[in-house]
Amino acid sequence: MKILIADDSRVMRQIVTRTLRQAGFGDHDLVEAADGQQAVDIAVAEKPDLVISDWNMPEMTGIEVLRKLRAAGNNVKFGFVTSECTPEMQQAAEAAGSAFFIVKPFTAERFDEVFSPILG
Amino acid sequence: MSEPVVTEGDLAEMVEQVWVSYLDPEGVSPLVQNGEVKQPTEVHSTVSITGSWHGHLVYASSVQAATRAAAAFLAMEPDEVGQEDISDVLGELANIVGGNVKAMLPAGCFLSLPTVVLAPDTASYYPAAERISGLYGTWAGEPVSISMWQSVKQEASA
Repeated sequence: MKILIADDSRVMRQIVTRTLRQAGFGDHDLVEAADGQQAVDIAVAEKPDLVISDWNMPEMTGIEVLRKLRAAGNNVKFGFVTSECTPEMQQAAEAAGSAFFIVKPFTAERFDEVFSPILG
Repeated sequence: MSEPVVTEGDLAEMVEQVWVSYLDPEGVSPLVQNGEVKQPTEVHSTVSITGSWHGHLVYASSVQAATRAAAAFLAMEPDEVGQEDISDVLGELANIVGGNVKAMLPAGCFLSLPTVVLAPDTASYYPAAERISGLYGTWAGEPVSISMWQSVKQEASA
């Protein structure tokens, strides 16, 4: 499967990658986006099977990316990994079609719990 | 004075999660609190919160502690860590703690992207804001602090 990791922080992209590996999902094909616009562009061009997105990014926030993809008829499995975790954000994410919401800091166990049903 | 919206205990809990998850997964080198508000730091990062609550979350440390944090985050050796690594990790630390703090604030807050300053925390000044809580201590003997600053004029700028 192809996974798109969208986060403006290079450090966090690296940590998400490492945690995926630690949780046993290291052999999937990973692509990265460094802001919201890039996330939309890459999601369209590369057709990933899963998008793991930050919320707060330059150019376009993660929720805007999700809404834009859905508005264009793109139903890629999409969820958030973010340090922000208010109930209003979780509701907005769910309403927009988000499949999961992981709060930073996270552990490999949390990744396993969320991604096992998705990635097998 | 009433209890701040985010107390020192709240900050300690969030910071412990960051240490357990990224900086000290083995649980051998925690942040040891010393309450030294004026301990000197060399680098810092900030996220600002606006909306229904106005203020800033500041993470500050020595260069050595920041280098150690970068090495832990990036799975590198400390001597491989460059300035860009330190800046990115400092920004991420403020972002993670700031994001967690935001969840404790009234609904309708917005978190800024982080800013990083490779200078002591005293180099940044937050006009019309006062420190409402802070966690001060050492990590492997090096100074680290996390502090919350609330705008005292939020009714004027809300």
